[in-house]
Amino acid sequence: MIVCVAVVGHQNNPLYIQSFTEADDALKLHHIVHCSLDVVDERVNNPKKSSPTLNETFLGLLYPTENYKVYGYLTNTKVKLILVTTDLDVRDADVRNFFSKFHAAYVDAVSNPFHVPGKKITSRTFAERVSTIVKSFGLSSGS
Amino acid sequence: MGREVSESCVESLLTEIVSSYCNGFYADKPELAARRIEAIGFQVGHQLSERYTMDRPRFTDHLEAIKFICKDFWSEVFKKQIDNLKTNHRGTFVLQDNRFRWLSRMSVDPSIETLGSIQDPSAMAENKAAQAIGMHLYFPCGIIRGALSNLGIPCAVSADISNLPACKSFHFEFFYSANSLN
Repeated sequence: MIVCVAVVGHQNNPLYIQSFTEADDALKLHHIVHCSLDVVDERVNNPKKSSPTLNETFLGLLYPTENYKVYGYLTNTKVKLILVTTDLDVRDADVRNFFSKFHAAYVDAVSNPFHVPGKKITSRTFAERVSTIVKSFGLSSGS
Repeated sequence: MGREVSESCVESLLTEIVSSYCNGFYADKPELAARRIEAIGFQVGHQLSERYTMDRPRFTDHLEAIKFICKDFWSEVFKKQIDNLKTNHRGTFVLQDNRFRWLSRMSVDPSIETLGSIQDPSAMAENKAAQAIGMHLYFPCGIIRGALSNLGIPCAVSADISNLPACKSFHFEFFYSANSLN
């Protein structure tokens, strides 16, 4: 289950952060997302030359914690998309699929002429779309 | 994706933006009108670059981003690739488009031409025409600047029409600090 998703701007400013848990652990999840930003920077600045995923937008598993796995995605416009999940065996394809849908939703949201670049995304349509994507995560694979 | 916009609508809109800013809102301040039109273009470019770079691997350096602008971005927006790209390797890039789509069907206002012919037939008319066409170039300049700055290349973009009144050739120049290049 996805517990938290976030969109972070190129100056590491939060554009959208949403947790999907019943418990009151939003702060903890925000902390996890915050920590992941350093890992994203590290990945981007010291790329492994031999890695096949060089310059790919999908950054893969950023770091596992005790209960969560954190995945990252970096767009060409230096916007970071972060995913925190509790599932311990996640298929890469599912995560990729999630991020491409999430990215599409983000692009549609910022293409709104009323959206101010660099400001938080307040669109309700975007929030609904994201929660739909989050709910459908892992279902399509038929596992 | 897959949604299309009528080209004539875009051209009419551009003409209308320019005319309402130049003759309506800021009739006596052409500088301010130009800035406002450029700002609209900036936002459009900012959003377009977000969409057009969606399914691409990340750019490793600035040259790659500029190549993207020249090829893919240009053909998405202007339906053709640019004809020539020159650089001095110090942060200035000159892009040449010999048949810029948004100007290719533009004619010079005949009233301007006759106005010019009273005093100095060729020079005056050419000057006026250049001004009128220059106004229409602030919007595409803004688009390019918006796209590049969203890709992490803050720059200044200016257009230069060399081949008047055919107006089929012009340049874009990018300036950005040399240290960010390395």
